[in-house]
Amino acid sequence: MAPNDVPPGLAVFVVEDEALVALNLESMLDDLGCRVVGPAMRFDRAQAMIDEGVEADVAILDVNIGGRSVFDLAVQIRERGIPILFATGYGRGGIPGEWQHRPILQKPYTERDVGRAIREALAGAERTGD
Amino acid sequence: MQLDFERLFDALPSPYMVLDAKLNYITVNAEYERVTMRPAGEYPGRFVFEMFPNEGESGRRLRDSFERVLATGQSDSIAYLPYDIPRPPELGGGMERRFWTCHHTPILDDDGVVRFIVQNTVDVTEVVRLTEAATIPFSATAGATRLLERAREVEEQRKALLAESDEFRRLFQQAPGFFAVLSGPEHVFTFANDAYVRLVGGRNVTGRPIREALPDIAGQGFYEMLDEVYTTGRSTGGEAMRVVLQRHPNEAPEEVFLDFSYDAICDRDGDITGVFVQGMDRTEAVRTQQRQRLLLDELNHRVKNTLATVQSIASQTLRSARDLASARSDFEARILALSKAHNLLSAQEWESTRLTEVLASEFSVYDAARISVEGPPVTLTPKASISLALVVHELVTNAAKYGALSEAGGAVRVRWRLEEGDGPLVLEWTERGGPPATAPERRGFGSRMIGAIVAGELGGSFEPAYDPAGFSCRIVVSADAVMKG
Repeated sequence: MAPNDVPPGLAVFVVEDEALVALNLESMLDDLGCRVVGPAMRFDRAQAMIDEGVEADVAILDVNIGGRSVFDLAVQIRERGIPILFATGYGRGGIPGEWQHRPILQKPYTERDVGRAIREALAGAERTGD
Repeated sequence: MQLDFERLFDALPSPYMVLDAKLNYITVNAEYERVTMRPAGEYPGRFVFEMFPNEGESGRRLRDSFERVLATGQSDSIAYLPYDIPRPPELGGGMERRFWTCHHTPILDDDGVVRFIVQNTVDVTEVVRLTEAATIPFSATAGATRLLERAREVEEQRKALLAESDEFRRLFQQAPGFFAVLSGPEHVFTFANDAYVRLVGGRNVTGRPIREALPDIAGQGFYEMLDEVYTTGRSTGGEAMRVVLQRHPNEAPEEVFLDFSYDAICDRDGDITGVFVQGMDRTEAVRTQQRQRLLLDELNHRVKNTLATVQSIASQTLRSARDLASARSDFEARILALSKAHNLLSAQEWESTRLTEVLASEFSVYDAARISVEGPPVTLTPKASISLALVVHELVTNAAKYGALSEAGGAVRVRWRLEEGDGPLVLEWTERGGPPATAPERRGFGSRMIGAIVAGELGGSFEPAYDPAGFSCRIVVSADAVMKG
């Protein structure tokens, strides 16, 4: 696999409340050969998708969804065994200690950053077995 | 030959009296009896201020002098003391103004405790009267008078010095910074100024060791720092150091931030006798800094999010543009729409905008006669303000390129309403008088963006209609997704 590649057809669950940012992330994931699940742009929509048994190989979560913290959702997604990475405008400082070791996408990010963060999330999941 | 001390005492040519440690008379000599105009038999066992009451400054000074002798075991003098004494009824009664020079000598017991005070008091009234008499030329003043003048000067200097040290004390007492003096290895408070007392919640600390006076700071390292200063003499302190302290009686301890220093106090021999504590309460400044930090973090967050939005607009515009020139003008127009929405929000302290404002700012370049906007007041949240501004921008751009605003005579009508109760906001956009509308062959960024914002971000619906009479669409979003509380 080339350094920028991610496994082809990877299903990526996207939770991002800014429509424009979500659109652009979709385009990037398309270009990376991923399949987008969602994007969920509202907290209740993301919760509904989790409740319906969302299936994905990795999840990209914006930390703030319409003023609500995403970490309640993150716990449920982790329970489903889906590796997680966070996208944020706050930087690592805005991530609680429990999630500090997860990959972070600092906004604004490039397609290259997205590919790298996905590979990190998958590698981290292999190491820790989650 | 045996000397009779009692006789000697009585024969002394100057007035003498002896007090016990409670300031009660033991005895007086004959000269004392004469100058005070009262028989010696009246004195024994009587309290000195009962015999010669004086509530004024002179009474206080005399009492202070006695107390100094009792406290220190050292002699003490008052060079010049105006002190009125009662005149016996047979001499006319009332009070008589007198001036005195007093010398007080302690008599110690074997243990060094003051048992008695011997007072030698000289009535200098006559001399004072002489000096006060302006008719007497200075050159003719007797030596005794000059001596007294000198005594008066010394006395006044002493008062001035006392006043000066009082002044200093007040300065420390009322200084904005906090000060305290701790004495001995147990750090007993011997002085704490007003600011210090305020800092510790009005507690009376004077005379108490710090561990007893301020038990609430145990475990925060301050006792140990004081021990260290007292032992080593090395100054120490802290900047904006966090202290959890009882600020009010019966309330939970509070967090304060202090700048402070501990410095050893040494006596003349260089031995450490205590610790001088001084500092400033910096809590407000630290809180302000913390608030600024939060604001900066929030600003940084917003800038990063806005950059991510701009990045998306740039990237998506470029992806879907027919050519570079149209990409450039589309990109600029979208950034401008975003910027105008920010202006509207800034004008309202980033709290909200009104839907009419958002529409007006996008329609501003068009002839008002061609635009009709109507609906109840709707106040939008900051996020919905920006999202709807971008939606309106795409609709206006579309109308200007392909719809009613592309031809003279075309018009746009925007109507919205709020359904009963908390029902959704329904907005209808109708273009008439332009060319017939046809559905686009491929979905451009504009319509993808509208779909993503309305359906995805706002959880509503967007229904476009391409009609021979013109384009129209209907946007339905729940009120709580876009409206300010």
